[in-house]
Formats: sequence, structure tokens, C-alpha cells
Amino acid sequence: MSRTRSISRRAYLAGVILATAALCGCSRVDVHSQSVRGVAYVRVDDAIKADPLYPQLQQLNDAIAAINFEATLPHAPLSPAQIAAQTRVLNAQLQAAQQRANAIIQSKQQSYEKQEHDADVAAVKAAGLDPAAAGLGQQMNATSQAQAQAAARAAQQGYIQYQRSVVAQDNAALLSIEKSLGKAADDKYRALAEQYQQDENDLALRLAQQDAPTRMSLQTKMNTLALSADERKSVTDQLNALNKKETDQVNALRAQHAVSLAAYRKQLSTQTTAQIAKQQAAIQSETNAKLSQRRDQVGAQLRGLGAAPVAGGSLPPDLRQRLAQIHQNYAAKFQADAQQAVVEYNQTKNDLDRQFEALHGEDVGATGAAAKQLQDLQKRHDALQAQIQAQIQRVAVALAKKMGFTVVFDNVTAANGGYDLTNDIIHDLESQHE
Amino acid sequence: MKKRVISTLLLAAGLAGLVSPAAIAADLTDVGYIDQSALGALPGFVSANQQLAAYKAQLDRQFAAAVRKARTDADKQRISMQFQQEYSDKQNELVGPLYQRTQMAIAAVSTSKKLSIVVDRRIVIYGGQDITSDVINTVRSPAAISAPQANSQPTSSIGFVDQSALANSQDVKTASDELQKYEQSQQPIYAARFKDARNDVDKQEVMADYNKAIQDEQNKLLNPLVAQTKKATAGVAKSKNLLLVIDRADVVYGGTDITQDVQNALNK
Repeated sequence: MSRTRSISRRAYLAGVILATAALCGCSRVDVHSQSVRGVAYVRVDDAIKADPLYPQLQQLNDAIAAINFEATLPHAPLSPAQIAAQTRVLNAQLQAAQQRANAIIQSKQQSYEKQEHDADVAAVKAAGLDPAAAGLGQQMNATSQAQAQAAARAAQQGYIQYQRSVVAQDNAALLSIEKSLGKAADDKYRALAEQYQQDENDLALRLAQQDAPTRMSLQTKMNTLALSADERKSVTDQLNALNKKETDQVNALRAQHAVSLAAYRKQLSTQTTAQIAKQQAAIQSETNAKLSQRRDQVGAQLRGLGAAPVAGGSLPPDLRQRLAQIHQNYAAKFQADAQQAVVEYNQTKNDLDRQFEALHGEDVGATGAAAKQLQDLQKRHDALQAQIQAQIQRVAVALAKKMGFTVVFDNVTAANGGYDLTNDIIHDLESQHE
Repeated sequence: MKKRVISTLLLAAGLAGLVSPAAIAADLTDVGYIDQSALGALPGFVSANQQLAAYKAQLDRQFAAAVRKARTDADKQRISMQFQQEYSDKQNELVGPLYQRTQMAIAAVSTSKKLSIVVDRRIVIYGGQDITSDVINTVRSPAAISAPQANSQPTSSIGFVDQSALANSQDVKTASDELQKYEQSQQPIYAARFKDARNDVDKQEVMADYNKAIQDEQNKLLNPLVAQTKKATAGVAKSKNLLLVIDRADVVYGGTDITQDVQNALNK
């Protein structure tokens, strides 16, 4: 009996505790108190660190940092021949990318032209007309012309972009050559100037050593108190004459050196200007060749697309509308595919441009395969971070609703009140993954 | 039994009363937020930004040519300042009028909704009032927007500090310089280890060590300053009866600026 009563008392107490917890809203905080006023905040950065997916995010961060770090490491300088060879490789890659983009655009153009023609034939047949009698060949030509115009616009735009980038690249190359030749000339000039300076110092020392006994003797005489004023003047004059003789000799050599240096500077300047002009001519000729080659390619591409007569023929209005719809549909598809080809080409070109800049000593970060890897890692990183943040947001919103907050902020600078929801979120995230 | 249940609930209610603080204050409902990217997508802004981008591209080319001709660093600096000024003037000319109209619209909508602060949408996780569409409609309407009356905005319980101004203090600059020197001193050490790494896993391990070394140094140099600033900010927030303090960069309109007070507290 006593045992039954004891159990009943324990059950009663448990009930009191549970009911109290229920009335308190399952929370330690009074959301509507003076110090909270329905406001909460989340230290999102800390919540992210506590997320079970955070180690993966950290790994991606390290991988990204490793590629970036590697790109900043000093590399062995390349010889002009190596630079030229690598430039040729880059140009070949760029040309291949252009040809690839052109081929894609041309193939898409032909494929959509055929599909549109088939769809037109079907539509005309469905309307009970003979496709040939309905002048569908002309319709097809109109389609072809519209696509050709679109391709021409894209090609023209591409050519202008290419022209700009080639000119910019060649300017950069020329600047780099100017810098390098200028530096070489400066180094040569500085070396000769230092040599002359050394020679002048050596002469001054030699003369001082030669005249040392005479100078010593005169100075000793000067220290003799018994000298008359005339004698003292005579010794002073001799000492001054000695100094002047040495200074004059050194100055004469210095003047001779100054003349030589001025002549040398002029000679270097002439040489450098000539070298720069030679390189400039070579680069400009290359630029013209590249542009001319590209212009020929674009021309050939457009000739391949062919021009066509304008569509004619009288068709029933509803069929005309249907054909216009079909045309619009395929034109949009072609436009999207052509755009995609251009985007991909530009991505390749941008990377090649950066490799080119890196080749000419610019600090442009990771390029080539490393840049591609970096891009992939960055995408994965951003996706994972977004996933973690979205999960934190979901948990925060659920908790805010449950606890009755009116507003929840992300990462506040300082808090004098409000409720820090971070630990509740972390607890919830952990319990979800347990 | 029924009597016992009632008494249990009464007892629970009494205990709940003991647990809850006595003072019950009104919840904060005067916080608004705005999606600034949606405002940036307004045709007027898009067109102005496109024009500005085209102008910048042209200016960049002129700048590069001018810098190439510069003989001294002083010349380069002068040219750089001149081009910055030209860009800024153009920005004001193209974006300025629309930006001012948008600011007026935000002020008008905030006043009509009795909001004490409007923040960027990115910092609101839950709640608050979204005024984006109201502001966009006001900006788009052909009618003139009248400026709200002075003192029409309620005092906000949310404060803000200009973190970039605080980061300009001499202590922070000194610590940042020291950190930079430390980074420079560590780079060759880790670069050597990095070159010896045999595969990507080894490389990532080196990077993790490098990042940890930098992070530790940063914690040593900057964390005390951050803690000091937080303490000063919290102190000012308390004295001004503010609930929270956010970064000025996240505030679009309203709020209570305590930057100067925090600077004064830090200088004491």
C-alpha cells in the first residue's frame, strides 16, 4: 500500500514538472521580456563551424587555398625562346577554340534549319497543302537567311572582341619587351657607372698614397711652433697645391667619365629604341596576320552559311502564323545554342588570355588546368556552403516560430539584449545528424 | 482525482510565474528589410550601370595610356586621382538621381509603416517587414516623393557601428601590419614544404598547417582588439538602451548610430 502511494506521489511530481515545462514554452528564455523583446540573433559563422558538413567545407577551402598558394609561388624565369614557344602553343589553342565554336554554330545552324524545314512540311501537309506548291523552299530559305544573319552578327561581334583582345595582348607583349629591354640598358649603364666610380676612387687613393710622404712632411712643419707667418703661409700653400693637384686629376677623370657615360647612354638608348622598333614591327606584323587570318575565317564561315532570297508565296493566315511560330521556336533554340558556344569560347579565351599574361610576368593567379580545377572546387564549395546555410536558416526559422520570436538577425556586432539562438540551432543540427 | 489535476495545473502556473521575469515589454515590430539586389535590377539602375561600365572600360584604356607616359610615382598618383574623380563624377551623373529617388522612397515607406530601422534582407533570418515591393512601386510611380517630416521616425532599439571606421584605428592597423609581416615570413617556409609535397593530399595538409599558423597569429594579434571593441560596443549599447548593434554596411535606413560613442569609449 505504502509502495503504491510512493509511486503515485512520484507520478504526481513528474506531472507538476512536465506541466511547468509546458507552460514555460519548453524554453529557458522569456522571449517577451524587457531584455529580449521578441528579438533573437544567430552567430551564423559559428553555427556553420558546428555543422556536421563543415569538415568537408574546410577540406574544399584547403584545396582552394593550395591552388591559390601554388599560383603565387615564384617560378623559374623563362627564356625568350621558351616564352615564344609557349605563346605559339597558346595561340594554337585559341585558334582551335575558335574553330570549335565556329563548327558548333555551323552544325547547329544546319541541324535546326533541317528540323524547321521538316516541321514546316508537316504543318503545311496538315493544312492540306502541297509543300512544294506552298513555296516551302522559299520559307526554308528565309529561315536560313535569318539564321545566317544571326550567325553573322555573332561572328562580327566575336571578331570585334578578338580584335580588341589581340591588340591588347600585343600591347602587353610590347610593354613587357620595352620593360625588359629598358631594364637591360639600365643595368648596363649602371654597371659602367659603377666601374667608373670605382676607378675614380682608386685614382684618389693612389694619388693620396703617392703624396703621403710630402703631405706628412708639410703637416709636420705646420705643427712646428717656430714657423714665421711667411713660412706658415708657404707650407699652407704647398699643402693646398697638393690637394688641388689631386682633386684636379680626379675631376679630370670624372669629367672624362661623364662624357663617356653620356655617349654610352645615347648609344644604349639608340640600340634599345632600335630593338623596340624591331620587336614592335614583328609584333604588329603578327597582329595583322592574326587579324587577317581571323577575318578570312569569319568570311569563310559566313560564305558557308550562304545568303538566300526573301520568302514569298501566299499562305492561309493561320498556316502563316503556325510557320512563324515554328520559326520563332527554332530561332530561339539556335540563338541559345549559339550563345552557349560563344560563352564557352569566351571562357577558354579568358583563361588563355590569363595564361598569356602570366607568361609575360603578370600575377594573375591560377591558369590552365589549375584554373579549371579551382573553378570546379569553388563551385562545390559554394554549393556546400549554401546547403549548410539553408539548413541553418530552416532550423532557425522553425525555432523562431516555435519560441515566438518576432525577428531573428544574422551575425550581429554586439548584443546588449535579445536572445542568442546559436546554441539551440547547433543542438538541433547535431540531433538531426545523430 | 479531478481536484488533484486542477491543483496540479494551478501549482504549475504558479511555478511558471516564478520562472518568468516580472517585466513584460512590447516586442520589437518596427524592423523592416529590403532586397537591395531587387532594387539594383530596376531598369533605370541596370541601364545606368551598363553606361557606367562602358564608360569605365573607356576610362581604363585612357588611364593605362596615361600611366605609361607618367615619369614619376607622383605623376602616377596624380593621374590615378584624376581618373578616380572622373569616374566618381560620371557615377554621380548617371546613378545619382535614381539613387536619391530610391533613398527618398525608402524613407517615405519607412515613415508610413512606422519603421525605426530598415536593414538589408541578407541579415534577417526570420520576421521583420519586407518593404521591397512598396519601395519599388514608389520609385516607379511618376509622382514626386515628398521627404518625410523631421523627427517622424521612431527611435530605434537597434544600433549600428561603422566597422570600417573602427578598423582604421592605429592599434588595428599596427596589428594588421604585424600579421601581414608574419604571413610574409611564413610564406617561404611553407612554400618550401609545399614544393616537397608529393601529392594533392600532402599539399592540402601543408595548406591546413599554414592556415592554422596564420589563424593562430591572427587570434593572438587581433582577437584582443576585437574583444575590446565588442566590449566597448556592448557598453555603449547598454548605456543607450539598445538591444542589438549591427554593422553600418547592413543598415539601409534609420537605426541609431553609435560609432562615435564606441570610438570615444575605446580611446578612454
